[in-house]
Amino acid sequence: MENEHIRIKNFSVWYGNEKALNNINLTIPNNAITVILGPSGCGKSTLLKSLNRLLDEVDDVRVEGEILVDGKNIYDKDVNVPALRKKMGLLLQKPQVLPFSIYKNVIFGPKINGIKDKKILKEICFKYLNMAHLWDEVSLKLNEPAHKLSIGQQQRLCLARGLAVEPEILLCDEPTSALDPISSKKVEETLLELKKNYTIILVTHILRQARRLADYIAFFYLGELVEFAQSKDFFENPRDERTKAYIKGDIS
Amino acid sequence: MSIGGAKKFFINFYIITPFLLFLIIFFYLFFNSFDFLKEKNLLEILFSSNWKPLKGNFGFFPFWFSTFYVTMLSALIFIPLGLLISIYISEYANKKFKNLLKPFFDVLSAIPSVVFGLWGFTAIVPFVSNFGKIFGIQTSGFSILSASIVLSLMVLPFMISLCISLFEMVPFSLKETVLSLGTTKFEMIEKVLIPECKRGIIASIFLSFGRAIGETMAVMMVVGCTIKIPKTPFDPAYPIPALIANEFGEMMSISSYKGALLFSAFLLNLFVLIFHFLFRRVFLKE
Amino acid sequence: MNRYLKEKLFLILMKISLYLFLFMVASLFFSIFFKGISYLSFEMVFSKPKKGFYLGGGGGILPSIFGSLVLAFFSTLLAFLVSLPMTIFLNLYSKRKFSNFIRNFIDLLWGIPSIVYGIFGFFIMVYIGLKSSLLAGIITLSFVIFPLILRSLDELLQNIPFTLKEASLSLGLNKFQMGIKVFLKAIAPGVLSSILISFGRAIGDSASILFTAGFSDNFPTSLFSPVSSLPLVVFYLYSSPDKEVSGRAYAASIILIIISILISLISRRIGKRIYGK
Repeated sequence: MENEHIRIKNFSVWYGNEKALNNINLTIPNNAITVILGPSGCGKSTLLKSLNRLLDEVDDVRVEGEILVDGKNIYDKDVNVPALRKKMGLLLQKPQVLPFSIYKNVIFGPKINGIKDKKILKEICFKYLNMAHLWDEVSLKLNEPAHKLSIGQQQRLCLARGLAVEPEILLCDEPTSALDPISSKKVEETLLELKKNYTIILVTHILRQARRLADYIAFFYLGELVEFAQSKDFFENPRDERTKAYIKGDIS
Repeated sequence: MSIGGAKKFFINFYIITPFLLFLIIFFYLFFNSFDFLKEKNLLEILFSSNWKPLKGNFGFFPFWFSTFYVTMLSALIFIPLGLLISIYISEYANKKFKNLLKPFFDVLSAIPSVVFGLWGFTAIVPFVSNFGKIFGIQTSGFSILSASIVLSLMVLPFMISLCISLFEMVPFSLKETVLSLGTTKFEMIEKVLIPECKRGIIASIFLSFGRAIGETMAVMMVVGCTIKIPKTPFDPAYPIPALIANEFGEMMSISSYKGALLFSAFLLNLFVLIFHFLFRRVFLKE
Repeated sequence: MNRYLKEKLFLILMKISLYLFLFMVASLFFSIFFKGISYLSFEMVFSKPKKGFYLGGGGGILPSIFGSLVLAFFSTLLAFLVSLPMTIFLNLYSKRKFSNFIRNFIDLLWGIPSIVYGIFGFFIMVYIGLKSSLLAGIITLSFVIFPLILRSLDELLQNIPFTLKEASLSLGLNKFQMGIKVFLKAIAPGVLSSILISFGRAIGDSASILFTAGFSDNFPTSLFSPVSSLPLVVFYLYSSPDKEVSGRAYAASIILIIISILISLISRRIGKRIYGK
């Protein structure tokens, strides 16, 4: 496929003796939203965490196979892991703000990467809070602790913070399941805007969300990639029995 | 009084015992010191080094200064070592290693202080003596440095266990989130983990201080017990607990000497309690 | 590049610290074992000191082993008997605020160095006309152990899930009976573990019995006779110029180390059973 950004080749993951992902072969296209769909426990989060190698931090994990990002296998010995993670922004289900002020949250990443100039940092803060549609609500209280924000605002803050390190790829693990409908909508709108410039991988188990947002859908079941197709094809002509069952709502 | 009321009274009285006990100990020391202090000038006592108890001269300076010196030097050892080791074990070591080490620290804390003192006498005192020779310093090895090294080893297991449990209490998702922004693990530790645990770390340091100040036997066996104002770490010294232990038996009979000793016990207690109190204020302010 | 160098540098520092620490611990065990093992004979462990023991004569440290065990046993028992009702009262009968107020003092008592308890014990001794003896040693040691055991029992009781309390109340037992039966059963392993740890501490503590328990070559014949103990054997003999004599200090240390390790491991084992359920 052209426009491939990430290619996952024969990739498997074991937690101890339990196989969480079985021989996954998947390509993620550039500048589009690829939704990873499937019932809970089917390995979706594991896949996401494999992409930015957060899996390294878990005990007793073993991986096999390759994940190529821009042609290079990220599991090679000589890979610079922090640089890889900088390329990938992560948005978790439960918003995890850093125990600092709103401002410090957003500029945390850029500061680590060496940007010291206060003017530039302020601009970065403005730019990305805007992109996450949060600026208007917090511009007057940037020095307040981030945990005082509502959950919806916190999630958008996490988004702004993730964008501030200027990644190419966004990994989102059920980013709206903890949010109220209005905040969810805002986050979804933002993601749709962002896909022009970023490759987005969105994990969800909500069919409707997949319908709204996906360009491509990868359906996972029990650790295996069952089906991959463009969104329209996926919903109108599902090929596998399990896919059909899931869409109908028989399995969840 | 009804039976219920009597029961209640009895229970409350029983419970108050720790409070009473503490007061009794504290005031016993305080009043005896008071009698002693009445006759002397407090400033003179604290800052004079003229210690001739049989003549009635009680300059405490060498003693509390020794306590201070030993404790501070020991802190210079156990604070960085303790932090570095606990960070490593908690964040870098793998699970197997961690599980091996945890019971190890428990066991270490159970070892009696005379055993540490014996080790100090056997291994550290000669080491310090040789070490001093490298700098051209003549020392028997019985010194502040030896005492500080021994104290540090006694205090480290406790501090390390405390710090490790502090680090483990920080939610994993926070650590994950920071790492996913592209930090090195050390940056995560430096910029988020340690600031988050700052309170607890300081509290554990205070607690360790308290222990170090009060430790008697192990220190006595390696510190030299000479009444001199120590200048370098290679000099011998005479911390307060050692003074009390050594001079006790004979001196209880001479009233002013007894007062002096009880005063030093009071000072000791006071220092320890100050650290304990600081620990509670810092730690429990959460 | 600077960032990565920083991490590498600190990693090296961390590893050095860890190895230094482990090295010191190894040095502790090896130096004492090597110096003492040759003196750890059957005679050493199982006989009394003979004439001139401290000057190189024959004999062993059996009375000290016995003394330590007896001192530790009775002081732990005493402290336990006093603490147990106290924790039950603190947790069940008194108001939150009052309990926490008292707990502050328990904590302060916990922080007092054992030599201060030694002085205090001596004061009591003199006050009631007692000489250095087994009894005085037991009393003083129990002061040292008391905050320890009270604290760990207290923590145990505080961790009993609230539902357990509610459940037994609803069964109609009155508060006192509930206290004894239900709680004790639930926390038995924890209690045993606390007792063991305190016992271990009592065997090793020396500063408190320095002036109160005395020292002797013989077994204590009564509560009022002086008694020797393992830590004091180490303390009094270690610096003797005679190798035979100082060797005994090392032998006593080995015994102390073995006892402490055993107690620590056993109490961990037992303590784990609560969570293992």
